[in-house]
Amino acid sequence: MTDTLARLSGIERRFGSVVALAGASLEIAPAEIHGVLGANGAGKSTLLHILGGMLQPDAGEIEIQGQSVMLRTPRDAWGHGIALVHQHFTLVPALSGLENLALGSGTPVTVGNAVAEIMERTGLRVPLDEPVSSLGIGDRQRLEILKALLREPTILVLDEPTAVLSPAEVQGLFALLRTMAAEGCAVVLVAHKLREVLGVADRITVLRDGRTVASDRADAFDEPSLVRAMVGGEVEVPAPQPNGASGEHLPKEERTIVGSLTDVRVVIDGVTRLDSVSMTMRRGEILGVAGIEGNGQRELALVLAGRQGPDGGSARLPSGIGFVPQDRSREGLIPSFDLVENVALALHQSDEYRDGPWVRWDEIRGEADRIVQHHGVVTTSTRTLAGALSGGNQQRVVVGREVAMATDLLVAENPTRGLDIVSATFVHAELRRLASVGVSIVLISTDLDEVLDMSTSVYAMSRGVLREVPSNQRTRAGVGALMLSGPADE
Amino acid sequence: MSDEPGSRSRAWEPVLIAAGAVALTAVVGSILLLAGGHSPVAAAAALVNGSVGSWRTFVSITLVRAVPLTFTGLAVALAFRAGVWNIGAEGQLYAGAICAVAAGLSLAWMPGLVLVPIVLGASAFGGAVWAAVPTVMRVRFGVGEVITTLLMNYVGIHLAAYMVHGPLQEARGVFPQSEAIPAAARLPLLLPGTRLHLGFAVAVILAIAMAVLMRRSRLGFQIRALGAAPEVARVSGRIRTTRVLAITFLASGAIAGLAGGVQVSGVTYTLLESFSPGWGYTAIAVALLAGLDPIGVIVTGVLFGALQAGAGAMQRDAGIPQVWVGVVEALVILAVLGLDRVRRTRRTERAP
Repeated sequence: MTDTLARLSGIERRFGSVVALAGASLEIAPAEIHGVLGANGAGKSTLLHILGGMLQPDAGEIEIQGQSVMLRTPRDAWGHGIALVHQHFTLVPALSGLENLALGSGTPVTVGNAVAEIMERTGLRVPLDEPVSSLGIGDRQRLEILKALLREPTILVLDEPTAVLSPAEVQGLFALLRTMAAEGCAVVLVAHKLREVLGVADRITVLRDGRTVASDRADAFDEPSLVRAMVGGEVEVPAPQPNGASGEHLPKEERTIVGSLTDVRVVIDGVTRLDSVSMTMRRGEILGVAGIEGNGQRELALVLAGRQGPDGGSARLPSGIGFVPQDRSREGLIPSFDLVENVALALHQSDEYRDGPWVRWDEIRGEADRIVQHHGVVTTSTRTLAGALSGGNQQRVVVGREVAMATDLLVAENPTRGLDIVSATFVHAELRRLASVGVSIVLISTDLDEVLDMSTSVYAMSRGVLREVPSNQRTRAGVGALMLSGPADE
Repeated sequence: MSDEPGSRSRAWEPVLIAAGAVALTAVVGSILLLAGGHSPVAAAAALVNGSVGSWRTFVSITLVRAVPLTFTGLAVALAFRAGVWNIGAEGQLYAGAICAVAAGLSLAWMPGLVLVPIVLGASAFGGAVWAAVPTVMRVRFGVGEVITTLLMNYVGIHLAAYMVHGPLQEARGVFPQSEAIPAAARLPLLLPGTRLHLGFAVAVILAIAMAVLMRRSRLGFQIRALGAAPEVARVSGRIRTTRVLAITFLASGAIAGLAGGVQVSGVTYTLLESFSPGWGYTAIAVALLAGLDPIGVIVTGVLFGALQAGAGAMQRDAGIPQVWVGVVEALVILAVLGLDRVRRTRRTERAP
């Protein structure tokens, strides 16, 4: 760590009355993997956006290789060798993967070889000829990473790249990052899983409330010390309780069935997305569905939530369904609506909250206040626009709202993706609490650890086929094998 | 109460934008008028004089011209709020005017208390029918409404021209216009001694009703949700998005049709060729400047009414040819839309 590639110091940035950064600093050395950690809303994304030229700081200094620089646009940042992989995707949906990669870098023909070479080296596989709109979130993220790598950056900045990747792909990505670091490239990595960051990073910087509160070699930290630095002081983070859902004590037959799928098929544009899927939801159970993005979980979630009818087979569903969709900013919340209105999205058709053609806003406002309080949403009031909240707080609003609707069944699709450990723990506790009061939960997640920790029964989804995982196979390796197997392997 | 959801619009912002637009138009317009050999001072004097120069001018000219602009502005604002890009208010207005005249002439024996509501109802029906074609094409076949509503405008304009040369032409067959509707089908005056008719009050009441519905009713909430984020509305599982879209689209057409009916029943009493000087298009600027807020539409409707009244005076009193009037009007609209865009961009900048 002799020389510094980039140094950000005293960075301040406000959004209206919200202070996102209040004197953050970050020092990046060549050939290192630098983990940036912090709770939701600590300012990680803002700091990275400033490094990537997407945002300008209100105060503070940025030095690249000893030169003070202004990064006014992403192009300025590229000029200094900085490439940013976004948390939210920036791809053009109507263009193919290859065309997206070619944007700003050349033509599909000239880019094709370079892409093939990178895909070969990294093992990141993406269908390049299909329009991005038909790709799942996992594939879109892989495309974003490819796009950044094409710029041959000296500083590669990744904002939560692992959230949507399968375990094998995470290992592949980390191997690639190590290779790149060995070649002298600096890698800046934001991720929420402490274990991942500790496993791969050389240095770690921790942000809290817009300030840098710790920065040291990775081996100077362990998980508890990182959590303390992130949340400031001791917090109680309950240890994962394997199979900890309640309802376990009752024999399976005595738990009431709230709904079931029987031989459900869903076909979209001639492609079978769900193939003869059957499952039975009982009160007090948490059914975990593991699988790599794009294997039919989306369609399963929509059918279970009653948002989409099956093309074949039958779905018997209860009336009190809550649905936590996976993309909270695009499907769960309306950013330009305030919290009361966002809560109203789910409630306004229920009898208690309507009065003939009118909405009972006072009652909904009361429920919104209750959700904000009970779920610890950090906001000045329920009049705040949802778009002004951090990701973790947005998800607390969505979960709080859908929990209120879920008297019979809650369908949660990647409910902790992108959340910090405190928020994620809260969501998990809320799912367990709901199960303990007799609601049936279906937890669909690409996070294998989450599924294994939370579920009373585990299912694996692969190419539209749902298989229950036998209890003797409930290990990462066992479920991972089922996630990758095709229908022909049966 | 400022505590209602959806009432977040900052009231002074449209006023600032209007002031800025006037200033910008004054500068650019002066330069153009000077280059064309006209006196900007005389032009400005005529503009002010012809719109707000006296109480009578304001009521009888500006407010009367504001009525069709307010109705069509409300129609556009309603549709845009739901994310329905209805730019067919012009054609819907013509369809409404045709139906209003047809109803007024064929039911001439009815008394006024009954006939006026029937005439206005017929115009709303005509506008809704005109919007039904693009609605069905959008809902059933996924055809974008921008192109279909635009094309339906031409059909509507030319249908009215055909009517006044054919089936609805006056008995003498000389002028391209219909017979005048009977007195019982005409809207009473709102202020005696002026030309302001009851239609203005109807427009104000409609705007207030729309504002209340948007903020307090379930349908209004669903319309706003659909416009703000259609995907979230769909995934929420509580909003039948297709139904909400269709209802909004038809209601928007009905309000635009009402603009035509009110104009026939309150001002012209007959159907004329080129009945509208493009109210249905100006309505888009009226609605956007108001931030799609119904109460704001009354204000911007009057603003554009004043502009059109003043433009007429510029031509008449200052001797400035009509083309210049068109240029000044277009400048105002461009300035308004440009400044509005700036405001929007500043407001949406927020944390990632």
